Amino acid sequence: MFKKNLAAKLTLVPSTVVIAVCFYGTILWTLYISLTHSTMLPNYKFYGFSQYATLLSMPRWHTAFANMLIFGSLFIAGSLVIGTTLAALLDRNVKAEGLFRVFFLYPLSMSFVVTGLAWQWLLNPTTGIEALVRSLGWQDFSFNWLASPEKAIYAVSIAAIWQSSGLVMAIMLAGLRGIDGDIWKAAKIDGIPVWRSYISIVLPMLRPLVLTCVILLATAVVKSYDLVVAMTGGGPGISTDVPGKFVVDLLFQRANISTAAAAAILMLVTVICALSPYVYIELKRQKR
Amino acid sequence: MGMKLSLTGVSTAIALLLSNQAFAQTAEVMHYWTSGSEAAAIKVIADDVAKKGGTWKDSPVTGYEAARAAVLSRLAGGDAPTSMVVDLGEIKPLVEQGVLAPIDNIASTKGWQTFLPKLVVDKASVDGHLYAVPIDIGTANWMWYSTKVLDDVGVKPPATWDEFFAAADKIKAKGYIPLAFGGQAWQEALVFRSIMIATGGNKFYTDVYTKHDVDAAGGPLMVKSFETFGKLRGYVDDGNTNRNWNDATNMVITGKAAMQIMGDWAKGEFQAAKMTPGKEYGCELAPGTNGVLNIVSDTFVFPVGDKPEQVAARKLLVDVMIDPETQVAFNSIKGALPPRLDVNLKDADICTQKAAGLLKDPNALAPNAELSFSSETVGAIKDLVTQFWSNPSMTPADAAKQYADIVARN
Repeated sequence: MFKKNLAAKLTLVPSTVVIAVCFYGTILWTLYISLTHSTMLPNYKFYGFSQYATLLSMPRWHTAFANMLIFGSLFIAGSLVIGTTLAALLDRNVKAEGLFRVFFLYPLSMSFVVTGLAWQWLLNPTTGIEALVRSLGWQDFSFNWLASPEKAIYAVSIAAIWQSSGLVMAIMLAGLRGIDGDIWKAAKIDGIPVWRSYISIVLPMLRPLVLTCVILLATAVVKSYDLVVAMTGGGPGISTDVPGKFVVDLLFQRANISTAAAAAILMLVTVICALSPYVYIELKRQKR
Repeated sequence: MGMKLSLTGVSTAIALLLSNQAFAQTAEVMHYWTSGSEAAAIKVIADDVAKKGGTWKDSPVTGYEAARAAVLSRLAGGDAPTSMVVDLGEIKPLVEQGVLAPIDNIASTKGWQTFLPKLVVDKASVDGHLYAVPIDIGTANWMWYSTKVLDDVGVKPPATWDEFFAAADKIKAKGYIPLAFGGQAWQEALVFRSIMIATGGNKFYTDVYTKHDVDAAGGPLMVKSFETFGKLRGYVDDGNTNRNWNDATNMVITGKAAMQIMGDWAKGEFQAAKMTPGKEYGCELAPGTNGVLNIVSDTFVFPVGDKPEQVAARKLLVDVMIDPETQVAFNSIKGALPPRLDVNLKDADICTQKAAGLLKDPNALAPNAELSFSSETVGAIKDLVTQFWSNPSMTPADAAKQYADIVARN
């Protein structure tokens, strides 16, 4: 039994060890550090849960956390709707489909830093869209979302949706291409409008792909750091702070690694809480 | 004869070689000076080390935060370099973690109380032992201005905030941006510190920053400081959000904006644009802060270790770094002040001259944020100041109250 696939099992050993140590090992280390009182360097004396209390008393953490929820829901919903719509449109045998595909997928090839800088210039009132429209004669035109603490997080969401819609499009398009032609024929015979076929028949068949997209996009939400740093630096004020930036700031600027670790653990817990019911339901459905 | 000469030559060469051998220490130094002028400045030290027979192993990391992270992980991993650059304010916490070696047993540091400013000596020492060689002193409270714009409007560089607002109204009326401003938390906090000094003098500033006086931090002078700071919102352009300091300096260089409040590192941008101080651009201490230097200092510290070659390399570095000529040469390139007070600065530019005189006066020195509070508190103050700046509905009184709370928690 053991000898069966021995070579394959042996090949897996190094990567398993690496994942166990580098991934789960560091998660455990972070968990432990969050229960100590470490400032600049790790101090392994157990200290209890006070770092979590400190964290929850920081207004900046609440802002960052709320931003993750706002940004996350807008970003995931926006990318899914736009990406799926693009995929459906491309699926209708348009001319020059290859060109459009490259066109919409192109933003994905850029790093979030480049996206952030480009959108910063576009949305900066003195260099971007507002300045352009004003120079064309509309002096009252105002589009200064980046300068407004209330709206800046929406500007960040737009930039992120622009970047990631192409990814959703590519995945969904691949799925649409796999739909059996007979289904379309059947729908046609029954006289179902095309849009209705998409929403009621085809999309439900693509559920596993939607799940893939949601998980990919959700990891991007949790990882969101570079886009915010490049685009707003967390500002104006602290209005576009996100947990990732909060943790890095605490780690490297504020020499407060145990509170940073506590924040990182709360991020992990949030992700598990948010994704596990969804993944559970989807996997159960697939088994059936 | 010829033979004899060459023999002498050979023996001299051997002797030199041997003596070099004895001193050929390898000193690995971690720093974050990677921009053009910074890299040229650190090369001064590297060359001097090489001249004295040592081997300089350069370990630069781009960006202060990244360098700091690299240093901390090297320390945590037990693979410390011979020396590294940290902020003067970080020495105490590092010593308390037990990672730094004292250097007061090295001969060239004898008498450092007499040739370094007292504030710097105090911050570089823990329990009476010296732990760091200060290599530069930066000043944060400068005002840089475009001579062309001020001449065109017909105003003088303002010496107080009242004069500033009067001049700024005229500048605005002429279509220029009065203040080039970078809306990043650290820049906002830098401008705010200048305003604190202008509002209550160095006494108010040191009450808050050195004595951590909670009443002063929440008192009327703080409220007034926030009022003045809030007024500035009307004199900057809409695009200030997340603008880098050098982009703001560039607005002054290109004549779009009239003035910028920024540290002495801004001088490098003007120099790179081939401008001369006193001609195309001017430097004055920020409005209302004449006679006070809000200082920061980069220092070299030395991780613990008593292997003979490490101790010898450490001594060689200290000897070179504290040498008056090295300090002058380093800082003339980097644009900061040499911490040594006993050096000759007659060749320095007018901005450096203005500050150098003040450096000798202990009452003129206001320690910068990082020198005064834990990094956690410094960060909390930055958060507060940047929230106040971006949110006009926060009242100065409320901001002052929160400031006091932060100081009380430090």
